[in-house]
Amino acid sequence: MKPGRLAAPAGARIDRNQTVEFSFDGKRYSGFAGDTIASALLANGVSILSRSFKYHRPRGVLTAAGQDSNTLVQIDDETNVLADRRAIEPGMAVTAQNVFGSLESDHANWIGHFSRFMPVGFYYKAFFRPKALWPFWEKVIRRLAGLGVVNQEADHGYYDKQYLFADVAVVGGGPAGMAAALEAAADGAEVVLMDENRVLGGSLNYARLDAAGERAETLRAELVAKVEAEANIRVLTSATCNGWFSDNWLPIIQGNRMYKLRATAMVVASGSFEQAMVFRNNDLPGVIMGSAAQRLIYQYGVKPGNRAVVVAANGDGYGVALDLLDAGVEVACVVDPRADAPGCERHHAVIERGVPVIRETTVAEVMAAPGNKGVVGARIAKVTGEGETTVTTDRFTCDLVCVSVGYHPAANLICHARGRMAYDNRQATFAIAELPAHMFAAGSVAGVYEANGAAASGRHAGWAAARDAGHDGGTEPPAAGDDGSSPNFPWPIFPHQDGKDFVDFDEDLVVVDLLNAIAEGYDNIELLKRFSTVGMGPSQGRHSSLPSVRIAAKATGKTMDQTGTTTSRPPFTAETFGHLAGRSFEPVRHTAMHWRHEEQGARMMVAGQWIRPEYYGDPANREANIKAEVMAVRENVGIIDVSTLGGIEVHGPDAAEFLNRMYTFAYLKQPVHRARYVLMTDQSGVITDDGVACRFHKNHFYVTATTGGVGAVYQEMLFHNAQWRLDVCVINSTASYAGINIAGPKARNVLARVSDDIDLSAEAFPYMGVRTGHIAGIPARLLRVGFVGELGYEVHVPASHGEALWDALMEAGKPEGIRPFGIEAQRLLRLEKGHIIINQDTDGLTHPHEADMAWAIARKKPYFVGMRSIAIQKDRGIERKLVGFTIVETNDTTTRAPEPKDCHLVIRDGTITGRVTSVGYSHVLGKIIGIGYVAPDQAEVGTRFKIKIEQGRLIEAEVTAMPFYDPYGKRQEM
Amino acid sequence: MSLAPEQQLRRSALYRELAALGATFGEVNGAACAMRCGGTREAEAERAQALAICDLSPLPRAGFKGHGAIVWVRTQGVTVTDANNMTAWQDDGASAARLADTEVLLLSDLACASTLCNDIAGGWSPDPDTGSYPVPRADTNCWFLISGRHSATMFSKICGVDLRPDKFAMGAAAQTSIARLNGIVIRADVVDSTGGETLAYHFLTDNASARFMWDSVLDAMGEWGGAPVGLDAMRGLAGDS
Repeated sequence: MKPGRLAAPAGARIDRNQTVEFSFDGKRYSGFAGDTIASALLANGVSILSRSFKYHRPRGVLTAAGQDSNTLVQIDDETNVLADRRAIEPGMAVTAQNVFGSLESDHANWIGHFSRFMPVGFYYKAFFRPKALWPFWEKVIRRLAGLGVVNQEADHGYYDKQYLFADVAVVGGGPAGMAAALEAAADGAEVVLMDENRVLGGSLNYARLDAAGERAETLRAELVAKVEAEANIRVLTSATCNGWFSDNWLPIIQGNRMYKLRATAMVVASGSFEQAMVFRNNDLPGVIMGSAAQRLIYQYGVKPGNRAVVVAANGDGYGVALDLLDAGVEVACVVDPRADAPGCERHHAVIERGVPVIRETTVAEVMAAPGNKGVVGARIAKVTGEGETTVTTDRFTCDLVCVSVGYHPAANLICHARGRMAYDNRQATFAIAELPAHMFAAGSVAGVYEANGAAASGRHAGWAAARDAGHDGGTEPPAAGDDGSSPNFPWPIFPHQDGKDFVDFDEDLVVVDLLNAIAEGYDNIELLKRFSTVGMGPSQGRHSSLPSVRIAAKATGKTMDQTGTTTSRPPFTAETFGHLAGRSFEPVRHTAMHWRHEEQGARMMVAGQWIRPEYYGDPANREANIKAEVMAVRENVGIIDVSTLGGIEVHGPDAAEFLNRMYTFAYLKQPVHRARYVLMTDQSGVITDDGVACRFHKNHFYVTATTGGVGAVYQEMLFHNAQWRLDVCVINSTASYAGINIAGPKARNVLARVSDDIDLSAEAFPYMGVRTGHIAGIPARLLRVGFVGELGYEVHVPASHGEALWDALMEAGKPEGIRPFGIEAQRLLRLEKGHIIINQDTDGLTHPHEADMAWAIARKKPYFVGMRSIAIQKDRGIERKLVGFTIVETNDTTTRAPEPKDCHLVIRDGTITGRVTSVGYSHVLGKIIGIGYVAPDQAEVGTRFKIKIEQGRLIEAEVTAMPFYDPYGKRQEM
Repeated sequence: MSLAPEQQLRRSALYRELAALGATFGEVNGAACAMRCGGTREAEAERAQALAICDLSPLPRAGFKGHGAIVWVRTQGVTVTDANNMTAWQDDGASAARLADTEVLLLSDLACASTLCNDIAGGWSPDPDTGSYPVPRADTNCWFLISGRHSATMFSKICGVDLRPDKFAMGAAAQTSIARLNGIVIRADVVDSTGGETLAYHFLTDNASARFMWDSVLDAMGEWGGAPVGLDAMRGLAGDS
């Protein structure tokens, strides 16, 4: 008979009125609302949930608490879901992982028979030789490795983050945590109390504290009622505190949300992990923790078996036996490995109910059902020493073995915070030796196991935490007393000569694996972990850590403290990239005219955070569209949105002196209403940005910067003036202004139609002049600059008026057939003029002499940022030079010469002497033109050099004087 | 009859989003402002008490920065707090948030009865140099009013500063990162003539990112049913007709 469902009142978490249908490996099952996948399957008689990682042995429920990897399953695209934590939902399709064939009949289960040929670390020594076989082995290993199947096409789910704030954070909602929260709240602290389970109570939800089985529920109900009534406590259930970071910054995962809690003080009341016992076949489905049996009974109403053997090395184990009896499970016997254990109330109750209790005895071996799919019996043996027994003395038929031999503190958060753990021989476990500042501990994580004692320790920790957080309201409660008892059996490891005595279920590691690793020299616990992989699986050593330290200590002759533990780091449990990413805030900036561009058919491109038009029109005609835009500017009139250009206001009496120091050119004598080129270098003389400085008042400059560089320019300005203390005020006004460049021989005609109060004539408003006035009724700054090399005006208006300005110019330009142009056309237009783009034609090493921009350096001023470095670079001589070039046409006049691309290399005699930085076909000039670096001795106009293009082909280019187009600038100055 | 936003020279960066909601626009400070967002004034006022966002971008605002900014603004009759990151309400309903020893932000009242922002911005001159220089806040920042009892919790999804009313006092200002953008948040509960208060925050951020922030806030509001409301609803809460 398979395990089944118990009648109420068992099953406090399930709602028997709501049936939930789901499937597991394609087979339909039903459970109740509130069931976990594992509990529902067990109630349906399904005890195998997965196959082990290495040997593909059947595995079932071990902890029923989401603390082990036995229950990892896949739900649709979601891999590695803990079946003993995730609740079933209607229609949920659950599949088993790591299965070859079917879960019931796994083709790979033969691997276990060859375990002797796969000793610990064998994969470090195999497969790589002979080298030719590696491609074969790689496929095999990739097939065998990993758990679950990732859908690489999966969409990003909806994940979220939220900040939380608290005076005191309490991790763990058991008796200690609830008592701590109540005490801290009573002292006036704002408390966040969190627990990874669906309801508060911790072990009170399933443990049997007394023979009658009443005390746990009474205590739980009392504490929960008080917590719910306390306004100062915020409760988060199904919420896992997944790590500790500096200053009590706690990431808490609840559903698809990660809370980011900053707490002044915190109480760790995270409890402890019940530990497995090591004996032969201790991994079979049907061998479970005592607490797991109780969770199944109390929370889900699932009968875990029909006939059980219970290993009880503490009072809790006798409570398990009583609960099994109450659930109708026949208890064949209770074996107690202790020699001198005091009797307790629960112990006596078990005896009174006629169950044989056998002292100084342990389960030495579990008898496996065919295919290792379950338990058919247990052999017991007399304990004769540390890990030693007599030959088996007796055999009991059973389908369930429950183990209650001790606990290991769930001290992960304490370890994350660099708290120190030390082995406590009396308690036979690691205990807290030192807590970091602003952290307190209570309950079984702090070595206080008994429920009332745990609550008392919680009250004390809550009081201390509230006090630490600045709430000094209450009288110090008494600390928990120490009754001198321990629930931990010091050596629950009974190796078997035939093996299958698992220490680490995740990695299928048995006792001899660890001993062999130690014998190979990996006798340091950290080395042992990495070589053997013990504790490196999904359950992260919750059950393997303590026995592996014990085994290592014994094998090396060291004490437990000398052996130590491995380092615990966040996260505490697996977390998804979705949780880390959250809602993925990725700010995007739109100009005021963005929607007009879309309406006019622009193809948009990303430029930093901005979205800009690349060109307008059908992508199928991309080149023709760009050509038409270029020709519109050269022959007629075009407009481009330049709102993304940086804008910085520099006000104050020292504004000119400030610019004189920040930029290479001279600005002290720059007339008002004139613009001047600005070139910025850093302290090492490297070009970092450029633009123009427009002087609107003797104390006010409006300085433009590149789209991508303005943020850094602004920061540099603030940084330097923090030292210079000049009387200036610097304001980044980039988003404040929308900008449009109207350019082309007919630009003046169009602009004149909407200019309210600005004389646009060449005499009144010459090239490099700047004016303020109104365009189409909009207050505007006008800059007569010529990036594209034609008569042009940049019109800068308040951003809220940008769209209206665009509309006005497009309307005014209708008679001329005005055309908007995008980034690609602008790049070609400026290339024809030989204007460089910072960070495209320069890199992180380019200084002005290399870029042929010595003309932009004022030689008579005493200082500018980078001046000294540039002087040194000039004296030292340049190693490359930026030049213009044209591609030399072949004799074949029917085809155009091949076009190099940005970053194609300049090659001379097999050596790289430079690279192309910008290149394109000029329809105006009828040839391919470009800018690039060459060796200094290649920089003379007329010099020919080779560029290596795709497929290694070399083409010839010739250094050409820039500008390529309108070399005397007559068109832009007309 | 609703005003067409495109008839105005000044336009909120969000007028298309608001129009798509069925907003009714009215002229405010030379721009079309969403007076309602598809609901009745009463329904939107009720929403505003739970959780809502209102685009105040058309409303007047101004800023001044520089070593003389606080002194100069005070000489213009503006009350400015002695402490940074605090706000002083003026007699005419406008407010002045002191952002630093060298910077102040001026915001209109919801009714736009105050002429302070436009007057002071229009009255500024570079001569004589006072050490106080205009910051074009009306165009640098979009301006939202986020209101309702869930508003502080909503902010905790996009902002790391504790803005809960018991921690963030009326008039307090935070200059911080919100949804990865720099922003200014000012606690500015809407108070009606009877003393009824609705928790509210002014929120100003990069104007060019207005759509991104609008979408981010609406998404964050979703779990409480928060949604946009028009200026009428906010004025209603403030007891303005």
